[in-house]
Amino acid sequence: MNSMTILVADDDPVIRKLFEKRLSREGYEVTVAADGAEAARLLDAMVFDVVITDLVMPGDIGGIELLKIAKERSVEIEVIVITAHSSVDTAVDAMKKGAVDYLEKPVNFDELFLRLEKISEVKALMKNAGDLREAMNVTENSAAQTIQDLEIINSAHQQMLDRLEDLLGNHHQDEGSRIEQALQILENR
Amino acid sequence: MLKITPEEIKLITKYIYEISGIYLDESKKYLLETRLNAIAEEQGCSSYQDFHRKAKADASKLIERKIIDAISTNETLFFRDTGPFQLLQHKILPELIDARAAKSSFSKTNLKIWSAASSTGQELYSIAIVLQELLGDMSKYSIKLIGTDISDAAVAQASSGKYNKFEIERGLARDKLTKYFSSVGQTWKVNDQIRAMANFRKFNLMSPFIGLGKFDIVLCRNVAIYFTLEDRKKLFNKIADVLEPDGYLIIGSTESLTGICPRFIPKRHLRSIFYQLK
Repeated sequence: MNSMTILVADDDPVIRKLFEKRLSREGYEVTVAADGAEAARLLDAMVFDVVITDLVMPGDIGGIELLKIAKERSVEIEVIVITAHSSVDTAVDAMKKGAVDYLEKPVNFDELFLRLEKISEVKALMKNAGDLREAMNVTENSAAQTIQDLEIINSAHQQMLDRLEDLLGNHHQDEGSRIEQALQILENR
Repeated sequence: MLKITPEEIKLITKYIYEISGIYLDESKKYLLETRLNAIAEEQGCSSYQDFHRKAKADASKLIERKIIDAISTNETLFFRDTGPFQLLQHKILPELIDARAAKSSFSKTNLKIWSAASSTGQELYSIAIVLQELLGDMSKYSIKLIGTDISDAAVAQASSGKYNKFEIERGLARDKLTKYFSSVGQTWKVNDQIRAMANFRKFNLMSPFIGLGKFDIVLCRNVAIYFTLEDRKKLFNKIADVLEPDGYLIIGSTESLTGICPRFIPKRHLRSIFYQLK
Protein backbone atom coordinates (compact mmCIF):
# COMPACT_ATOMS: atom_id res chain seq x y z
CA MET A 1 0.00 0.00 0.00
CA ASN A 2 3.01 2.30 0.35
CA SER A 3 3.64 3.09 -3.27
CA MET A 4 6.26 5.77 -2.76
CA THR A 5 9.65 5.35 -4.38
CA ILE A 6 12.60 6.13 -2.14
CA LEU A 7 16.27 6.73 -2.88
CA VAL A 8 18.66 6.11 0.04
CA ALA A 9 22.17 7.57 -0.14
CA ASP A 10 24.63 6.39 2.53
CA ASP A 11 28.28 5.38 2.28
CA ASP A 12 28.02 2.79 5.07
CA PRO A 13 27.10 -0.57 3.45
CA VAL A 14 25.59 -1.93 6.68
CA ILE A 15 23.25 1.04 7.08
CA ARG A 16 22.38 0.89 3.35
CA LYS A 17 21.40 -2.76 3.70
CA LEU A 18 19.36 -1.98 6.81
CA PHE A 19 17.42 0.82 5.08
CA GLU A 20 16.78 -1.38 2.07
CA LYS A 21 15.45 -4.22 4.21
CA ARG A 22 13.27 -2.18 6.56
CA LEU A 23 11.77 0.12 3.92
CA SER A 24 11.07 -2.78 1.51
CA ARG A 25 9.35 -4.67 4.30
CA GLU A 26 7.06 -1.65 4.79
CA GLY A 27 6.17 -1.81 1.12
CA TYR A 28 8.25 1.07 -0.22
CA GLU A 29 10.19 0.76 -3.47
CA VAL A 30 13.79 1.32 -2.43
CA THR A 31 16.89 2.10 -4.45
CA VAL A 32 20.25 2.60 -2.74
CA ALA A 33 23.34 4.63 -3.65
CA ALA A 34 26.83 4.33 -2.08
CA ASP A 35 27.62 8.04 -2.40
CA GLY A 36 26.30 11.40 -3.59
CA ALA A 37 27.59 11.00 -7.15
CA GLU A 38 25.77 7.68 -7.62
CA ALA A 39 22.62 9.15 -6.09
CA ALA A 40 22.80 12.12 -8.49
CA ARG A 41 23.10 9.72 -11.45
CA LEU A 42 20.07 7.76 -10.21
CA LEU A 43 18.09 11.00 -9.83
CA ASP A 44 18.77 11.65 -13.51
CA ALA A 45 17.64 8.21 -14.58
CA MET A 46 14.61 7.57 -12.35
CA VAL A 47 11.75 9.34 -10.62
CA PHE A 48 11.70 9.33 -6.81
CA ASP A 49 9.15 10.62 -4.30
CA VAL A 50 11.59 10.81 -1.40
CA VAL A 51 15.37 10.98 -1.00
CA ILE A 52 16.89 9.92 2.33
CA THR A 53 20.51 11.00 2.54
CA ASP A 54 23.36 10.98 5.01
CA LEU A 55 24.65 14.51 5.43
CA VAL A 56 28.31 13.46 5.38
CA MET A 57 29.45 11.31 2.47
CA PRO A 58 32.82 11.00 0.71
CA GLY A 59 33.36 12.73 -2.64
CA ASP A 60 32.23 16.09 -4.02
CA ILE A 61 28.53 15.51 -3.46
CA GLY A 62 27.54 15.46 0.21
CA GLY A 63 24.03 15.51 1.66
CA ILE A 64 23.51 19.27 1.22
CA GLU A 65 24.69 19.13 -2.41
CA LEU A 66 22.44 16.14 -3.08
CA LEU A 67 19.50 18.04 -1.55
CA LYS A 68 20.15 20.87 -4.00
CA ILE A 69 20.40 18.49 -6.95
CA ALA A 70 17.17 16.69 -5.96
CA LYS A 71 15.25 19.98 -5.63
CA GLU A 72 16.55 21.08 -9.03
CA ARG A 73 15.27 17.84 -10.58
CA SER A 74 11.82 18.48 -9.12
CA VAL A 75 10.50 20.59 -6.26
CA GLU A 76 8.13 17.69 -5.57
CA ILE A 77 10.94 15.40 -4.37
CA GLU A 78 11.03 15.47 -0.56
CA VAL A 79 14.42 15.09 1.10
CA ILE A 80 15.05 13.71 4.60
CA VAL A 81 18.59 14.16 5.91
CA ILE A 82 20.32 11.85 8.37
CA THR A 83 22.70 13.47 10.78
CA ALA A 84 25.00 12.59 13.63
CA HIS A 85 23.74 13.75 17.01
CA SER A 86 26.51 16.33 17.25
CA SER A 87 25.65 18.12 14.00
CA VAL A 88 22.02 19.10 14.46
CA ASP A 89 22.89 22.64 13.32
CA THR A 90 23.80 21.30 9.88
CA ALA A 91 20.47 19.48 9.77
CA VAL A 92 18.61 22.69 10.58
CA ASP A 93 20.59 24.38 7.83
CA ALA A 94 19.48 21.59 5.46
CA MET A 95 15.85 22.23 6.39
CA LYS A 96 16.29 25.92 5.63
CA LYS A 97 17.55 24.84 2.22
CA GLY A 98 14.43 22.79 1.56
CA ALA A 99 14.78 19.43 3.35
CA VAL A 100 11.41 18.30 4.72
CA ASP A 101 12.83 16.71 7.88
CA TYR A 102 15.92 15.29 9.58
CA LEU A 103 16.63 12.19 11.62
CA GLU A 104 19.45 11.64 14.10
CA LYS A 105 21.71 8.58 14.08
CA PRO A 106 21.10 5.85 15.01
CA VAL A 107 17.95 5.98 12.91
CA ASN A 108 14.75 5.07 14.69
CA PHE A 109 12.79 3.34 11.95
CA ASP A 110 9.38 3.73 13.60
CA GLU A 111 10.00 7.46 13.61
CA LEU A 112 11.08 7.36 9.97
CA PHE A 113 7.95 5.43 8.96
CA LEU A 114 5.77 8.05 10.67
CA ARG A 115 7.51 10.85 8.79
CA LEU A 116 7.12 8.94 5.51
CA GLU A 117 3.41 8.41 6.15
CA LYS A 118 2.98 12.14 6.71
CA ILE A 119 4.83 12.87 3.45
CA SER A 120 2.65 10.33 1.67
CA GLU A 121 -0.51 11.98 3.05
CA VAL A 122 0.59 15.43 1.92
CA LYS A 123 1.47 14.05 -1.52
CA ALA A 124 -1.97 12.41 -1.77
CA LEU A 125 -3.65 15.70 -0.82
CA MET A 126 -1.52 17.54 -3.35
CA LYS A 127 -2.47 15.04 -6.02
CA ASN A 128 -6.12 15.37 -5.09
CA ALA A 129 -5.92 19.16 -5.26
CA GLY A 130 -4.18 18.84 -8.62
CA ASP A 131 -6.89 16.48 -9.92
CA LEU A 132 -9.61 18.87 -8.75
CA ARG A 133 -7.84 21.78 -10.40
CA GLU A 134 -7.51 19.77 -13.59
CA ALA A 135 -11.23 18.91 -13.50
CA MET A 136 -12.02 22.57 -12.88
CA ASN A 137 -9.86 23.60 -15.83
CA VAL A 138 -11.62 21.19 -18.18
CA THR A 139 -15.04 22.39 -17.04
CA GLU A 140 -13.94 26.01 -17.17
CA ASN A 141 -12.47 25.73 -20.67
CA SER A 142 -15.58 24.09 -21.99
CA ALA A 143 -17.85 26.67 -20.34
CA ALA A 144 -15.61 29.51 -21.54
CA GLN A 145 -15.94 28.44 -25.20
CA THR A 146 -19.74 28.26 -24.92
CA ILE A 147 -19.91 31.63 -23.19
CA GLN A 148 -17.59 33.23 -25.75
CA ASP A 149 -19.71 31.94 -28.62
CA LEU A 150 -22.87 33.28 -27.00
CA GLU A 151 -21.20 36.59 -26.17
CA ILE A 152 -20.11 37.13 -29.79
CA ILE A 153 -23.45 36.01 -31.27
CA ASN A 154 -25.35 38.17 -28.81
CA SER A 155 -23.19 41.18 -29.60
CA ALA A 156 -23.74 40.71 -33.36
CA HIS A 157 -27.51 40.46 -32.78
CA GLN A 158 -27.44 43.57 -30.65
CA GLN A 159 -25.61 45.49 -33.36
CA MET A 160 -28.11 44.26 -35.94
CA LEU A 161 -31.01 45.37 -33.78
CA ASP A 162 -29.40 48.79 -33.38
CA ARG A 163 -29.12 49.12 -37.17
CA LEU A 164 -32.73 48.02 -37.67
CA GLU A 165 -33.87 50.52 -35.08
CA ASP A 166 -32.03 53.35 -36.82
CA LEU A 167 -33.30 52.28 -40.22
CA LEU A 168 -36.94 51.75 -39.32
CA GLY A 169 -37.05 54.98 -37.33
CA ASN A 170 -35.63 57.01 -40.22
CA HIS A 171 -38.66 59.04 -41.38
CA HIS A 172 -36.81 60.58 -44.30
CA GLN A 173 -37.27 57.35 -46.26
CA ASP A 174 -40.60 55.90 -47.36
CA GLU A 175 -41.90 52.87 -45.54
CA GLY A 176 -41.55 50.50 -48.49
CA SER A 177 -37.84 51.08 -48.89
CA ARG A 178 -37.25 50.95 -45.12
CA ILE A 179 -38.94 47.54 -44.94
CA GLU A 180 -37.01 46.33 -47.98
CA GLN A 181 -33.68 47.36 -46.44
CA ALA A 182 -34.65 45.87 -43.08
CA LEU A 183 -35.44 42.55 -44.76
CA GLN A 184 -32.08 42.74 -46.53
CA ILE A 185 -30.29 43.11 -43.16
CA LEU A 186 -32.22 40.14 -41.75
CA GLU A 187 -31.48 37.98 -44.80
CA ASN A 188 -27.75 38.68 -44.53
CA ARG A 189 -27.46 37.75 -40.88
CA MET B 1 -17.22 25.31 16.68
CA LEU B 2 -19.55 28.28 17.10
CA LYS B 3 -22.94 27.56 15.49
CA ILE B 4 -24.59 30.18 13.34
CA THR B 5 -28.38 30.70 13.45
CA PRO B 6 -30.48 31.63 10.38
CA GLU B 7 -30.93 35.17 11.77
CA GLU B 8 -27.20 35.49 12.30
CA ILE B 9 -26.53 34.34 8.73
CA LYS B 10 -28.67 37.26 7.51
CA LEU B 11 -26.88 39.65 9.85
CA ILE B 12 -23.37 38.51 8.92
CA THR B 13 -23.95 38.25 5.14
CA LYS B 14 -25.41 41.78 5.18
CA TYR B 15 -22.37 43.01 7.11
CA ILE B 16 -19.94 41.29 4.71
CA TYR B 17 -21.80 42.85 1.79
CA GLU B 18 -21.50 46.31 3.35
CA ILE B 19 -17.77 46.09 4.00
CA SER B 20 -16.72 44.27 0.82
CA GLY B 21 -19.48 44.09 -1.79
CA ILE B 22 -19.18 40.30 -1.66
CA TYR B 23 -22.68 38.89 -1.80
CA LEU B 24 -23.28 35.61 0.00
CA ASP B 25 -26.70 34.04 0.13
CA GLU B 26 -28.13 31.87 2.88
CA SER B 27 -26.77 28.69 1.30
CA LYS B 28 -23.26 29.74 2.35
CA LYS B 29 -23.69 28.75 6.00
CA TYR B 30 -20.86 26.23 5.84
CA LEU B 31 -18.49 28.72 4.26
CA LEU B 32 -19.28 31.33 6.91
CA GLU B 33 -18.74 28.92 9.76
CA THR B 34 -15.51 27.42 8.48
CA ARG B 35 -13.93 30.73 7.51
CA LEU B 36 -15.08 32.92 10.39
CA ASN B 37 -14.95 30.51 13.31
CA ALA B 38 -11.28 31.09 14.10
CA ILE B 39 -11.67 34.89 14.18
CA ALA B 40 -14.85 34.70 16.28
CA GLU B 41 -13.17 32.43 18.82
CA GLU B 42 -10.03 34.52 18.88
CA GLN B 43 -12.19 37.55 19.73
CA GLY B 44 -13.81 35.54 22.52
CA CYS B 45 -17.28 35.80 21.01
CA SER B 46 -20.15 33.79 22.48
CA SER B 47 -22.24 33.96 19.32
CA TYR B 48 -22.16 35.36 15.80
CA GLN B 49 -24.43 38.16 16.97
CA ASP B 50 -21.79 39.05 19.54
CA PHE B 51 -19.14 38.74 16.79
CA HIS B 52 -21.09 41.11 14.55
CA ARG B 53 -21.41 43.65 17.37
CA LYS B 54 -17.70 43.48 18.20
CA ALA B 55 -16.69 43.83 14.54
CA LYS B 56 -18.89 46.89 14.06
CA ALA B 57 -17.68 48.51 17.28
CA ASP B 58 -13.99 47.96 16.51
CA ALA B 59 -12.67 51.43 15.62
CA SER B 60 -9.30 50.02 14.50
CA LYS B 61 -11.16 47.98 11.83
CA LEU B 62 -8.88 45.07 12.63
CA ILE B 63 -11.75 42.57 12.88
CA GLU B 64 -13.26 43.91 9.66
CA ARG B 65 -9.92 43.39 7.89
CA LYS B 66 -9.62 39.87 9.22
CA ILE B 67 -13.13 39.04 8.04
CA ILE B 68 -12.35 40.33 4.55
CA ASP B 69 -9.10 38.35 4.44
CA ALA B 70 -10.96 35.21 5.49
CA ILE B 71 -13.95 35.56 3.19
CA SER B 72 -12.27 36.71 -0.03
CA THR B 73 -11.14 33.89 -2.30
CA ASN B 74 -7.48 33.95 -3.18
CA GLU B 75 -7.34 30.96 -5.47
CA THR B 76 -4.97 32.07 -8.20
CA LEU B 77 -1.96 30.86 -10.13
CA PHE B 78 0.84 32.20 -12.21
CA PHE B 79 -0.43 32.32 -15.78
CA ARG B 80 -3.82 31.07 -14.56
CA ASP B 81 -5.69 30.21 -17.76
CA THR B 82 -3.16 30.72 -20.56
CA GLY B 83 -5.69 32.51 -22.85
CA PRO B 84 -5.41 36.05 -21.47
CA PHE B 85 -1.61 35.94 -21.36
CA GLN B 86 -1.34 34.76 -24.96
CA LEU B 87 -3.81 37.47 -25.85
CA LEU B 88 -1.63 40.06 -24.11
CA GLN B 89 1.60 38.74 -25.59
CA HIS B 90 0.51 38.27 -29.21
CA LYS B 91 -2.13 40.91 -29.72
CA ILE B 92 -2.89 43.51 -27.07
CA LEU B 93 0.60 44.53 -25.94
CA PRO B 94 2.17 44.72 -29.45
CA GLU B 95 -0.82 46.74 -30.72
CA LEU B 96 -0.84 49.09 -27.75
CA ILE B 97 2.92 49.61 -27.77
CA ASP B 98 2.85 50.48 -31.48
CA ALA B 99 -0.01 52.92 -30.92
CA ARG B 100 1.59 54.55 -27.87
CA ALA B 101 5.10 54.67 -29.39
CA ALA B 102 3.72 56.57 -32.40
CA LYS B 103 2.35 59.20 -30.02
CA SER B 104 5.55 59.59 -28.02
CA SER B 105 8.44 59.68 -30.48
CA PHE B 106 10.60 61.91 -28.24
CA SER B 107 9.67 60.56 -24.85
CA LYS B 108 9.25 57.19 -23.21
CA THR B 109 6.33 55.05 -24.28
CA ASN B 110 3.71 55.04 -21.55
CA LEU B 111 1.56 52.11 -20.60
CA LYS B 112 -0.73 51.73 -17.60
CA ILE B 113 -2.15 48.36 -16.65
CA TRP B 114 -4.54 47.62 -13.78
CA SER B 115 -5.19 44.24 -12.21
CA ALA B 116 -8.43 45.14 -10.44
CA ALA B 117 -8.58 42.08 -8.19
CA SER B 118 -4.91 41.25 -7.92
CA SER B 119 -5.22 38.76 -5.05
CA THR B 120 -1.72 37.59 -4.08
CA GLY B 121 -0.14 39.15 -7.17
CA GLN B 122 0.36 36.19 -9.54
CA GLU B 123 -1.62 37.81 -12.37
CA LEU B 124 0.30 41.08 -12.32
CA TYR B 125 3.71 39.41 -11.98
CA SER B 126 2.77 37.11 -14.89
CA ILE B 127 2.08 40.24 -16.96
CA ALA B 128 5.39 41.75 -15.83
CA ILE B 129 7.15 38.59 -17.04
CA VAL B 130 5.33 38.75 -20.39
CA LEU B 131 6.35 42.41 -20.76
CA GLN B 132 9.95 41.66 -19.85
CA GLU B 133 10.13 38.86 -22.45
CA LEU B 134 8.38 40.93 -25.10
CA LEU B 135 10.27 44.20 -24.67
CA GLY B 136 13.70 43.18 -23.40
CA ASP B 137 15.22 46.58 -22.70
CA MET B 138 12.64 48.32 -20.54
CA SER B 139 14.45 51.67 -20.39
CA LYS B 140 12.54 53.04 -23.38
CA TYR B 141 9.23 52.48 -21.64
CA SER B 142 7.41 53.90 -18.70
CA ILE B 143 5.13 51.10 -17.61
CA LYS B 144 2.90 51.25 -14.57
CA LEU B 145 1.49 47.97 -13.31
CA ILE B 146 -1.05 48.49 -10.56
CA GLY B 147 -2.66 45.71 -8.57
CA THR B 148 -5.49 46.28 -6.13
CA ASP B 149 -7.36 43.94 -3.85
CA ILE B 150 -9.78 44.24 -0.98
CA SER B 151 -7.79 41.91 1.28
CA ASP B 152 -4.89 43.42 3.27
CA ALA B 153 -3.30 40.01 3.63
CA ALA B 154 -3.41 39.43 -0.14
CA VAL B 155 -1.95 42.89 -0.84
CA ALA B 156 0.85 42.28 1.68
CA GLN B 157 1.78 38.94 0.12
CA ALA B 158 1.59 40.37 -3.40
CA SER B 159 3.93 43.22 -2.41
CA SER B 160 6.42 40.81 -0.82
CA GLY B 161 6.52 38.73 -4.01
CA LYS B 162 7.05 35.59 -1.91
CA TYR B 163 5.34 32.30 -2.62
CA ASN B 164 5.49 28.84 -1.12
CA LYS B 165 6.14 25.80 -3.24
CA PHE B 166 2.44 24.97 -3.56
CA GLU B 167 1.68 28.43 -4.89
CA ILE B 168 4.59 28.40 -7.29
CA GLU B 169 4.91 25.03 -8.89
CA ARG B 170 1.70 24.88 -10.89
CA GLY B 171 1.26 27.11 -13.89
CA LEU B 172 4.82 28.35 -13.98
CA ALA B 173 7.17 26.75 -16.51
CA ARG B 174 10.55 25.64 -15.21
CA ASP B 175 12.51 28.10 -17.37
CA LYS B 176 10.45 31.05 -16.13
CA LEU B 177 10.78 29.87 -12.55
CA THR B 178 14.57 29.77 -12.66
CA LYS B 179 14.81 32.99 -14.67
CA TYR B 180 12.48 35.20 -12.64
CA PHE B 181 12.50 33.72 -9.15
CA SER B 182 15.05 32.78 -6.55
CA SER B 183 14.48 30.28 -3.78
CA VAL B 184 15.23 30.60 -0.12
CA GLY B 185 14.55 27.17 1.32
CA GLN B 186 10.90 26.36 0.59
CA THR B 187 10.06 29.94 -0.35
CA TRP B 188 10.32 31.43 -3.83
CA LYS B 189 10.72 35.14 -4.33
CA VAL B 190 10.09 37.18 -7.47
CA ASN B 191 13.32 38.84 -8.65
CA ASP B 192 13.65 42.52 -7.77
CA GLN B 193 13.55 43.65 -11.38
CA ILE B 194 10.10 42.09 -11.88
CA ARG B 195 8.89 43.03 -8.42
CA ALA B 196 9.83 46.68 -8.92
CA MET B 197 7.56 46.87 -11.96
CA ALA B 198 4.41 46.16 -9.95
CA ASN B 199 2.66 48.15 -7.24
CA PHE B 200 -0.05 46.82 -5.01
CA ARG B 201 -2.53 48.54 -2.73
CA LYS B 202 -5.83 47.96 -1.04
CA PHE B 203 -8.90 49.08 -2.92
CA ASN B 204 -12.61 48.28 -2.68
CA LEU B 205 -14.19 47.98 -6.13
CA MET B 206 -17.47 49.20 -4.63
CA SER B 207 -15.97 52.62 -3.92
CA PRO B 208 -15.82 55.47 -6.48
CA PHE B 209 -12.94 55.27 -8.98
CA ILE B 210 -11.46 58.66 -8.12
CA GLY B 211 -7.80 59.52 -8.67
CA LEU B 212 -7.01 56.31 -10.55
CA GLY B 213 -6.40 58.04 -13.88
CA LYS B 214 -6.91 56.23 -17.18
CA PHE B 215 -5.73 52.73 -18.03
CA ASP B 216 -4.64 51.11 -21.27
CA ILE B 217 -5.49 47.64 -20.02
CA VAL B 218 -7.79 46.59 -17.19
CA LEU B 219 -7.98 43.00 -16.01
CA CYS B 220 -11.01 42.26 -13.87
CA ARG B 221 -11.14 38.48 -13.74
CA ASN B 222 -13.24 36.26 -11.53
CA VAL B 223 -14.21 38.90 -8.99
CA ALA B 224 -17.51 40.30 -10.28
CA ILE B 225 -18.93 36.78 -9.91
CA TYR B 226 -19.11 37.46 -6.17
CA PHE B 227 -21.18 40.63 -6.68
CA THR B 228 -24.91 41.19 -7.25
CA LEU B 229 -26.08 41.94 -10.80
CA GLU B 230 -26.66 45.59 -9.84
CA ASP B 231 -23.13 45.94 -8.45
CA ARG B 232 -21.66 44.24 -11.53
CA LYS B 233 -23.37 46.83 -13.73
CA LYS B 234 -21.96 49.66 -11.61
CA LEU B 235 -18.50 48.10 -11.55
CA PHE B 236 -18.13 47.67 -15.32
CA ASN B 237 -19.60 51.11 -15.93
CA LYS B 238 -16.92 52.58 -13.67
CA ILE B 239 -14.26 50.53 -15.47
CA ALA B 240 -15.52 51.93 -18.80
CA ASP B 241 -14.97 55.42 -17.33
CA VAL B 242 -11.30 54.76 -16.50
CA LEU B 243 -10.39 52.94 -19.72
CA GLU B 244 -8.60 54.78 -22.54
CA PRO B 245 -10.83 55.04 -25.68
CA ASP B 246 -8.70 52.39 -27.42
CA GLY B 247 -7.98 50.48 -24.20
CA TYR B 248 -8.64 46.82 -23.48
CA LEU B 249 -10.68 45.05 -20.82
CA ILE B 250 -10.12 41.38 -19.97
CA ILE B 251 -12.62 39.54 -17.77
CA GLY B 252 -12.67 35.95 -16.52
CA SER B 253 -12.97 33.27 -19.20
CA THR B 254 -16.40 32.14 -17.97
CA GLU B 255 -17.74 35.65 -17.34
CA SER B 256 -19.96 37.66 -19.66
CA LEU B 257 -20.90 41.32 -20.00
CA THR B 258 -24.19 40.55 -21.76
CA GLY B 259 -26.89 42.54 -20.01
CA ILE B 260 -24.26 44.12 -17.76
CA CYS B 261 -22.53 46.90 -19.68
CA PRO B 262 -23.60 47.86 -23.22
CA ARG B 263 -20.65 50.27 -23.52
CA PHE B 264 -18.31 47.36 -24.28
CA ILE B 265 -18.08 45.28 -27.45
CA PRO B 266 -16.64 41.76 -27.21
CA LYS B 267 -13.92 40.85 -29.72
CA ARG B 268 -12.44 37.44 -30.26
CA HIS B 269 -8.80 36.64 -30.88
CA LEU B 270 -7.79 32.99 -31.17
CA ARG B 271 -9.52 31.29 -28.25
CA SER B 272 -9.97 34.35 -26.05
CA ILE B 273 -12.25 37.33 -25.81
CA PHE B 274 -11.40 40.89 -24.91
CA TYR B 275 -13.58 43.97 -24.72
CA GLN B 276 -13.24 47.46 -26.09
CA LEU B 277 -15.38 50.56 -25.76
CA LYS B 278 -17.95 51.14 -28.49
